[in-house]
Amino acid sequence: MIKVEDLNVRLGHRNVLKDINVEIEDGKWTCLVGPNGAGKTTFLKALLGSQPYSGSICDSGVEVFRNHDRNVAFVPQHPQIPIGMSVSEYVMLGRSKRDGWGNESNKSRNLVADILGLTGLFGMQNQYVSQLSGGEMQRALIARALVQEPTLILLDEPTSALDLHHQIAVLNNIELLKERGVTIVSTMHDITLAAMYAEKIVVMQEGKVLLHGTSEFVIHSPELKAAFENRINVFTLESGRPVIVAKKDLGN
Amino acid sequence: MKTQNSNSGLSPIWNWKITALSFALLFVVGILAISFGPVSLNFVKIIRTLFGLPDGLTGQDRTLLIDLRLPRALLAALVGAALATSGAVYQTVFRNPLADPYLLGAAAGAGLGATIAITSAGADLYSLLPIFSFFGAILAVLTSFFISGKFFAEPNSLLLSGIAVGSFATAVQTYLQQRNSSSLRPVYSWILGELTVANWQIVTWSSIYILIALVILITVSKQLDGLMLTDEEAYSLGINPNKLRVIAVVAATLATATAVSASGLIGFVGIVVPHLVRGITHRVTNRGLLTIALVGASFLVLADLGARTLLSPAELPIGVITAFVGAPFFLVVLRKKRLVTQ
Amino acid sequence: MSTFRTGALFRICATAIAITIVNIYPASAASVSPQRIISLSPSATEILFAIGAGTQVIAVDDLSNFPTTAPISKLSAFSPNVEALMNYKPDLVVLNADATKAVEVEAALEKLKIKVFLEKAPKDLSQVYLEVTVLGRVTGHLASAQNIVVNMKSKIRSAIVSARKSVKISFFHELDNTLYTATSDTFIGKVYKDFNLENVADPAATADSAGYPQLQSEYLIKVNPRIIFLSDAQYGESTATLTKRPGWTGITAVKNKSVIALPEDIPSRWGPRLIDFYQFIAAAIGKIK
Repeated sequence: MIKVEDLNVRLGHRNVLKDINVEIEDGKWTCLVGPNGAGKTTFLKALLGSQPYSGSICDSGVEVFRNHDRNVAFVPQHPQIPIGMSVSEYVMLGRSKRDGWGNESNKSRNLVADILGLTGLFGMQNQYVSQLSGGEMQRALIARALVQEPTLILLDEPTSALDLHHQIAVLNNIELLKERGVTIVSTMHDITLAAMYAEKIVVMQEGKVLLHGTSEFVIHSPELKAAFENRINVFTLESGRPVIVAKKDLGN
Repeated sequence: MKTQNSNSGLSPIWNWKITALSFALLFVVGILAISFGPVSLNFVKIIRTLFGLPDGLTGQDRTLLIDLRLPRALLAALVGAALATSGAVYQTVFRNPLADPYLLGAAAGAGLGATIAITSAGADLYSLLPIFSFFGAILAVLTSFFISGKFFAEPNSLLLSGIAVGSFATAVQTYLQQRNSSSLRPVYSWILGELTVANWQIVTWSSIYILIALVILITVSKQLDGLMLTDEEAYSLGINPNKLRVIAVVAATLATATAVSASGLIGFVGIVVPHLVRGITHRVTNRGLLTIALVGASFLVLADLGARTLLSPAELPIGVITAFVGAPFFLVVLRKKRLVTQ
Repeated sequence: MSTFRTGALFRICATAIAITIVNIYPASAASVSPQRIISLSPSATEILFAIGAGTQVIAVDDLSNFPTTAPISKLSAFSPNVEALMNYKPDLVVLNADATKAVEVEAALEKLKIKVFLEKAPKDLSQVYLEVTVLGRVTGHLASAQNIVVNMKSKIRSAIVSARKSVKISFFHELDNTLYTATSDTFIGKVYKDFNLENVADPAATADSAGYPQLQSEYLIKVNPRIIFLSDAQYGESTATLTKRPGWTGITAVKNKSVIALPEDIPSRWGPRLIDFYQFIAAAIGKIK
């Protein structure tokens, strides 16, 4: 369990995160939702341990800041794409945490081969990463996170750049991690998808947490609508699945 | 190395046979370099002299080999290794395939230092020229770090600071040259790069600094790969990106400053050699840093051989050769491997 | 081949006031003087041949075009190549101190047991005479060298006397068409000074420590020199091109056509042909007014 108490983060002169108190359960998928500027990405970075903060973030009882004993995978929204690197080399980087930099064990090589197959990238392993399409790049990022065999995976907008069926494919791959007991925290613009996959949702607005809890609870709450200034509608399909869309007519 | 065996997973990321091959290359090139020149020496006698066997070269010939050709070849190797490695490291740190070791104002700072040494009243300062250009380079880079302020090790802001520092240093240098026109020729030929007369003294002190820097860089070379990713990704994989960047830039600058103070501004090596090695091996991992160093050394030793022999008895400035050879090679590699996305 | 004391080299250290000769090579008889001299200085070449040491010179640099009988080679005066020099098996190399890495080249030649004469560009006539004398000493032609010096002194003096006017005439010495010039601190400036000419560049002397400042067109028009010496005539400058420059038709020198094209080479060499240069200037001044 990751316990976040009185978390405050300042970037420059701005308070980006204000007095955040939540608990992130192990092995579950927690999704951060909220409008732009809510501080979702900064929260992810704080959970990673690379972002200085005041307050406390404890993962299994240990503060996370600069704590390299954890094995956390981070999938950014806009990755740096190394020029001239092949897909297999790129995905292999994920093993650096376990094997140490620059040493690939045979186990690693086999694992990377498997994951490449799983994510449908095996045939492209010798292509340059810079030549991949948006969807393929996203899969490569997921593949790299998978080979890292992390205990926690943080994803920043993992589906924003993808078309519909790829979004589902990627999210399904991430869901596989739950079977291995990995804790998943992601930010999502698409709340419908968040509701489909995440067990827990945290609603953020302007650096504060408005509400957090199970998906059902949060989706139908007034705080969710408030976070988006009442510009969203929440519908429920016959199957019980919620669908959240923005209102066209801003009068209501 | 490019083939993949579906039974055992993926092919290795780096094949250390390549590194061994580059050691051999340097050795062969080195022997070539000291064997050729305007004065012809008996090859067998050269080998005998090198290994301390009897019946080697004597007198003037021996002096030529031991006191002139050998230190010059060694200096070329050291400078070539330093520049190629720095270039590769800068390309990784700044995530820019066109980065070269003279970024961050190192070249302009070294040039300013050299100009100050040459134009100062009292010709005795000429012997201190290497020291002046060395500190000029270091100070320029330090200033770049300093004025990038709180974005201390952030690549883009460092780059911009470096441009500012470089422009300023160049302006001051130009002013000094205008006020002291007798410095124009020596500064110009220094800028073109010259290994003309190396001696064991230069080889000794430059090898100390360059080897220290290279050892540092090769030690962290594996982790440098993390700098090709965003800082968060690097952090998640166990690296402290800022700290690593500082170490890398400092070591690379030490190597560059030493190389520049020993031999002037030799261009192209820092850009061409890393891409050459990456193009041939199809790998951009920084595990190739040692190979890049060795190939850089071989490259410059060969270029120096050309400088001494192509237009004999005149000396061709070595910067001209590296440009002539480097540019087309570079274009060929770029086109074939399409290292830069269209 | 070489019977000299090993490691002996001599050097002229020119200071503004005194000239010191270190390790003076003893005046030698023809039998032990160097027989395989390489000259990497066009001026030294002229001097060597003038004093009669031409038969002892085996090669001269690619710019040494006078005398025409000199064994010109591809050796470079400004970028000396130690190995190439060694190939000739010389016993003496005359090296210009302004050559690239002259100090290191000298050290390398020393290691190879080849003697070096490091020639510094003379700042005035007395240093030229000294160089002639020393070269005479070294090559075993001391008497001949001394005669040359005496001859130079007397001919130059007569040239000066014949043309020197009591009234200072202002002049401008043009190095190139961007108006670089030479002040009286330079060697050529001193030649003009001997004729009591007034160099319009002197007020700008602090702009360049070596004595080659760049002047402004405005300033030249204002200061209105009566003579203009063109060192860039070989590059196409002449009275005609000067009149095309805006405002220059008003300059006295241009109006009176007192624009003198300097011959190539002679003004930049220091040797016996300095006589010719002084006589040339004397004749030019004589034609003024």
